[in-house]
Amino acid sequence: MITDILKASVAASAIRLATPYIFASLGETFGQRSGVLNLGVDGIMLMGAFAAYYAVFETGNLFLGLLAALIVGMLMGLAMAFISVTLQAEQGISGIGLYLFGLGLSELLFQKTVVTPTPIDGFPRINLPILTDLPVLGEIFFHHNLLVYVAFALVPISAFVLNRTTFGLQIRAVGQNPEAADAMGISVARVRYMTVTLGGGFAGLAGASLSIALLNIFQSNLTSGQGFIAVALVYFGAWRPYWVMGGALLFSTVNALQLQVKTIENALGINVPSEFAVMAPYVVTIITLIFASKRVEQPTALTKPFERGES
Amino acid sequence: MPENLLPTGHRRIEQMRMQGIVKKFPGVLAVDHVDFDVKAGEIHALLGENGAGKSTLMKILYGLYHQEEGHIYLNDQSVVIRSPNHAIQHGIGMIHQHFMLVPSLTVAENVALGMKSSRGLILDLEVVSKRIRELSEIYGLQVNPNTPIWQLAVGEQQRVEILRALYRGAALLILDEPTAVLTPQEVDDLFRILNQMTTDGHALIFISHKLHEVLAISHRITVLRDGKRVYSIPAESATKEMLAQMMVGRPVVLHYDLPPIEPGPARLRLDGVSATSDRGDEGLKNISLNVHAGEIVGVAGVSGNGQRELAQVIAGMRSITAGKIWLNNDDVTNHSPAAMNQHGLSHIPEARMTDGVIKNFTVAENFVLQNHGRKPYAWGGLFMNFRSITRQCKTAIKDYEIKTPSHETPIKSLSGGNIQKLVLARELSRQPRVLIAAQPTRGVDIGASEYIHHRLLEERSKGTAILLISEDLDEILALSDRIVVMYEGVIVGEVKRDAADVRTLGLMMAGSKVTV
Amino acid sequence: MLSRKKWLLLPLILLMVALVVPTQGHTRSAKAQDTFKVAVVMPSASNDLAFSQSMIDALTAIDEEMGDGFEFVFQENTFVVDDAAIALREWAASGEYNLIIAHGSQYGAIIEELAPEFPDVSFAWGTDVDTFGYDNVYAYEAGSDQGGFVNGVLAALLTNSNVIGVVGPIEVGDAKLYVDGFKAGVAWVNPEIAVNVNYIQSFSDVALASEAAQAHIANGADVMTGSAQMVVGAVGVAKETGNVLWFGQQSNQTELAPEIVVANQVYHWEVVLKEIIAQVQAGTLGGTSYKLTLENGGLVIEYNEAYTLSAFDKFVADAVIQGIIDGTITYTLE
Repeated sequence: MITDILKASVAASAIRLATPYIFASLGETFGQRSGVLNLGVDGIMLMGAFAAYYAVFETGNLFLGLLAALIVGMLMGLAMAFISVTLQAEQGISGIGLYLFGLGLSELLFQKTVVTPTPIDGFPRINLPILTDLPVLGEIFFHHNLLVYVAFALVPISAFVLNRTTFGLQIRAVGQNPEAADAMGISVARVRYMTVTLGGGFAGLAGASLSIALLNIFQSNLTSGQGFIAVALVYFGAWRPYWVMGGALLFSTVNALQLQVKTIENALGINVPSEFAVMAPYVVTIITLIFASKRVEQPTALTKPFERGES
Repeated sequence: MPENLLPTGHRRIEQMRMQGIVKKFPGVLAVDHVDFDVKAGEIHALLGENGAGKSTLMKILYGLYHQEEGHIYLNDQSVVIRSPNHAIQHGIGMIHQHFMLVPSLTVAENVALGMKSSRGLILDLEVVSKRIRELSEIYGLQVNPNTPIWQLAVGEQQRVEILRALYRGAALLILDEPTAVLTPQEVDDLFRILNQMTTDGHALIFISHKLHEVLAISHRITVLRDGKRVYSIPAESATKEMLAQMMVGRPVVLHYDLPPIEPGPARLRLDGVSATSDRGDEGLKNISLNVHAGEIVGVAGVSGNGQRELAQVIAGMRSITAGKIWLNNDDVTNHSPAAMNQHGLSHIPEARMTDGVIKNFTVAENFVLQNHGRKPYAWGGLFMNFRSITRQCKTAIKDYEIKTPSHETPIKSLSGGNIQKLVLARELSRQPRVLIAAQPTRGVDIGASEYIHHRLLEERSKGTAILLISEDLDEILALSDRIVVMYEGVIVGEVKRDAADVRTLGLMMAGSKVTV
Repeated sequence: MLSRKKWLLLPLILLMVALVVPTQGHTRSAKAQDTFKVAVVMPSASNDLAFSQSMIDALTAIDEEMGDGFEFVFQENTFVVDDAAIALREWAASGEYNLIIAHGSQYGAIIEELAPEFPDVSFAWGTDVDTFGYDNVYAYEAGSDQGGFVNGVLAALLTNSNVIGVVGPIEVGDAKLYVDGFKAGVAWVNPEIAVNVNYIQSFSDVALASEAAQAHIANGADVMTGSAQMVVGAVGVAKETGNVLWFGQQSNQTELAPEIVVANQVYHWEVVLKEIIAQVQAGTLGGTSYKLTLENGGLVIEYNEAYTLSAFDKFVADAVIQGIIDGTITYTLE
């Protein structure tokens, strides 16, 4: 019995933990598929988290908070696009710059406005008739807030956009062979601006999912590096939305499991050093990466600025 | 079908005229008041050395660059072509030298790229595929729309490029060095397709530096040199020699007389050598080969059939999984590149910008890259003797006619031909007994090629054993005493100089075992 | 040669750098001639409702008491020890400060290095007991196991499920002391009660702390506590599920969730700081190690007035506090 409850609780926990990763990683997938590596995701998440939190703190309107996160995220994405596409700056460095910018600014604004972490009323858990009351399944799947469902709904939508639309085709072409895309009359810069801005919006939503849906609070460095994990998950998921989701879920499940280790230990009477449990998600991720070999979708132009050659 | 329509249903371009085109790049006048025109049903060849301005001129026509002066007329109407998209709208298509295809996408996806979909935002790949099949029928270009590009052979990829241009309604097609990567048989196929296109009323511009191909396919020939138009002539009244002279600006030797030499002892021996390629499959299978002192052995083959791996195993850059290699009767199997050098090997690598030189180093530094720790370039193996380096390098610059502002210029600012000459100077300065020359004239202009060829022949007469690996069949035929042909990592045949002809070699390069 | 585009990057980079440099705060008090001046570095945000904030609250309290005679500056978010080292060295070299505080046990090595180099400057650091044998170094620590014990006793009295959850950061320092004291307090009332401790190995991962709380609740916990700044996530979870009680630590966390917070152990560093300031003013620059205790008033159990604690429970808690102070209640830590 206890194990059933445990399983359900671990699964539900994994789904919640995966939510910000899915938002951020999907956004990053768009950018990377078009050839732009944005390492500033964590900074955008922080700004999105703060924007959403502050809007809700002041107005109590959750959707205004969501909108604020989306807009702030897109603006940050736009800035990254300007730096990496127009100025053609080194993407790794400018991404780190964007991260530090978001980290510093979100902290500064928070101290100038709300000052101390104050809880707000965020997106409530949705209780669905019948479904929520299902044993085990109800606990796992139908007991979450709106943004959890939005994140998971974005997975098939993103896959559809990438694989079945003209825009998706342009993204894939620009990331694989920008010269070819350019020759076919596609504006490489326009596509990259769009994907990086969109990715920023997603990262903003990722932040909002933390500050106004899952945690309902803001604090300095609320994300504590989740944005970097999100970037790694894009590689992990080999640039495919469904695999990225799988990676986020795997990582979150192991994370959720390690939180339960102590309780399992108490039940079984063994002792596992907590450091091992904490290492587990990263170890699992690395091992899976080693064995994941299907990497045909790797955008070959990733991190390479595009400029028409003269030959 | 109305008079002015192509079989694809698009309008013909009866005449395209470029007049007084000028294009400047920082410090260079790339195109200098050039006139050029092409008519429906005609192939007009554009000939010139690297940097003569032919690519620039065509990129202006295709909307990738914009001219500073001059006008473009289509059917006597002045047009401004702002972008490739705009060019396509005007019925101008371009087949680039490096294919503009996305390897991970399918044929249909590559064709659909940048096109409006009949379903708005959502892709209509079935519609595209159907149309591709129709066009394949009309022009005899067989391609499966659902195959990813990376699974196609080079010749097939080119067909996709042509199909895509036709799909987009190209009435005028620019072909930039379209035969550079093809086997002779594939070239024949291409020419058949091009001829049919002209019969159907397309206008074609054919850019090349291969003179016999230009003479074989085109109706008119225009030669550019240093950004200027120097010559225009109907193809039937042109000869190779005069075209070469126009391109280079001085008479050029196109045929070499190889003085008969009695081959000496085998300097390089490979016995049953196998190696793994970068892709992880068997790149070389059971290769046995001898190169004797005073002979040039040519290795022919279509790119990617093991030539690269062959050069690398001999140079010690790739380890072998079976067999043995001897240099001057010493077993050097799986020795390091440095050890190979000690045994008298010099190597002109195929990837000269990555394996041959260090881009940001100066000419002089690149010149002593291998011997910098030895006399006369260093004292006691530790301290570099810059005076000696400078002196030796200056001599090489003079002897090898390397065009460079100074020996302290970064090598990356030199032209391909001059970089190759420096590599050659360095490798020959060590007085090798065995020389591997991999693609020694690729991307090198005719003048420099001629110079490099002379140097190789000079080495031959000195008694050096030379292995010449080249995808340029003309080069192989001009220089080799013996020719071996590689196909899928195997030597499929060997031909003596006198018995060699393009047809049989072409068949062997395509994989047929031919006994001569 | 840089292209014009690249030059555009410069102001952008400068803007980023400006925002990234750890923020330095100043008090509002007017400057006077013989002002006692203090400078402090801290690892997290000054408003973290935990470790760093406890020091700011203490300095603010002293500031209010001493008025013009006191002034302090602080640098927050210096989790990177090298950044802290730069600030500490600058302050020490300036000679302007009467006391320089390194508020974080990770800064010990820097103090050990700076103290002999600036023998006329008084340093204080914590939480630790080591003054390195220098007579210009004060050390301070919190006997947080004491308040932990009190919180533990109350938690044991209030649990119905006999399952209690603890969300900890890393098993070191005052966090470990607090958790061990808490466990001893629970066992003192009823050794049968299960105390599930979960060190999440992070001081900052709010999301993980929140899920750790979820896990505790799923396992039946109806009372929880935790230490370090990431617990705001756990408090949020406790509040949302309604009937899970929370015990605060380091700062008064009542405002996070007035409905469920029972009591908080609050650090009052001002008790120790006032001692140190008096010593420095008297000419003694260091050499002593201080500890916050319930007895010296450095540790205070602050009840949440909005939460109705039964008279009996309150009585027991107060008795335990008194017992620890007068030594009639003793316990051993694991």
